[in-house]
Amino acid sequence: MNIVSAYSTKESVDLVIQDLREQFKHMAPKMVLYFASSRHAPEAVSRKMQQAFPTATVFGCSTAGEIASGKMLKNSVSAMAFNAQAISEVEISVIEELHDESGVELAFASFEKRFGTPMLDLNPKKYLGLVLVDGLSGAEEKLIDRIGDLTDVTFIGGSAGDDLKFAATYVYANGKSYRNAAVLALLKPGSEFSFIKTQSFSILPRKLVVTRANEANREVVEFDHKPAAAAYAEALGISVQDAAGRFTHNPLGLVIDGEPFVRSPQRIKGSSMLFYCGVMEGMELSLLEATNIIEDTRKALAEARAKLGTVSGIVNFNCILRTLELEQNEATEEYGGLFSGCPTVGFSTYGEQFIGHLNQTATMLVFK
Amino acid sequence: MAGKIKHMIDAIIEQRAKENVLLQGVIRTKLMLKGIDPRKFTPLSDDDPAVISKLEALLKDFK
Repeated sequence: MNIVSAYSTKESVDLVIQDLREQFKHMAPKMVLYFASSRHAPEAVSRKMQQAFPTATVFGCSTAGEIASGKMLKNSVSAMAFNAQAISEVEISVIEELHDESGVELAFASFEKRFGTPMLDLNPKKYLGLVLVDGLSGAEEKLIDRIGDLTDVTFIGGSAGDDLKFAATYVYANGKSYRNAAVLALLKPGSEFSFIKTQSFSILPRKLVVTRANEANREVVEFDHKPAAAAYAEALGISVQDAAGRFTHNPLGLVIDGEPFVRSPQRIKGSSMLFYCGVMEGMELSLLEATNIIEDTRKALAEARAKLGTVSGIVNFNCILRTLELEQNEATEEYGGLFSGCPTVGFSTYGEQFIGHLNQTATMLVFK
Repeated sequence: MAGKIKHMIDAIIEQRAKENVLLQGVIRTKLMLKGIDPRKFTPLSDDDPAVISKLEALLKDFK
């Protein structure tokens, strides 16, 4: 097999590494992607993962739960190894200061040097990008927006988590751990690949237009020239006091070609609403209503399988809010089961990236 | 003045996506996520300086 996934729930980093090495011993990894519970010390996990696979490009991030083939996990490390047939070329670059506006340009310059082609000229059918970013930075929109300005290559990824402590999230590369940073990876896979963006919501007819926003703070001050919280509550026919209780079930979505790009409310602040991702003035958002995550994911995976013929590996960036809903419905085992029989790696994220920065969505990279 | 925004959006999509229909859709999605909905601008739309400024920056990157 060219792509192999593994996980370990051992207590110490040393035992985890030993366990993963044992599971990958029959292959020569060219790239190792891993997602580690925040129980493991960031510096140690990154240094030791790199030492364990010295000839491979090794990178990852901290999580709010891990995903492996057939399983949703806690307190583990989930990893995927790719040999040279699966990934013919890979280059990573770390943006060490997310608020540095030239970060993406510098990363792309290193990619251009390695691949010998301007990022704007790379064929998006042959190359793809991965992005792992500090999940507490609040800087994801600017990052993915800038990436999208400078290339047509699709970058997909997730925001690192810390098991809902909301204290510190890390990205890992080059044997080091980083905060307020992002790891970008440019890959040339050896076979076809595809992307899944799946969210479990139906689009309701009621729309709200953002008429006043504090975009830098992900804050909507007014919808339809009314205080945001009051307008949201009115749209649902409920009181402002009850509004926060509906955020997960009824987020908002920017609907593009019939597909919602979910914007999840985080909390009410005065009469405003704070969101988990950027909301711009002038955006027309639709009210959404939750549907069934298991059924929608099953359908999305079936469509990807039909498109590619076979699937040899899946990288799943699954929103923590979806994981919490699955836990509440005691459906984590069933969700994990959707990925059984196929090498899978992933984690519960603090945000997902695919063209833009998203919430309550699973973005997946699927290899033929 | 009117219509400049529609003209700039068309230029961005043409420059970046050329004849590639899939890429045209991606560029439209990127614009919408930036808060610029291409469907809302016609040859008669007002020339909003804030929107024009965003589009000018994009045109520069796309060259």
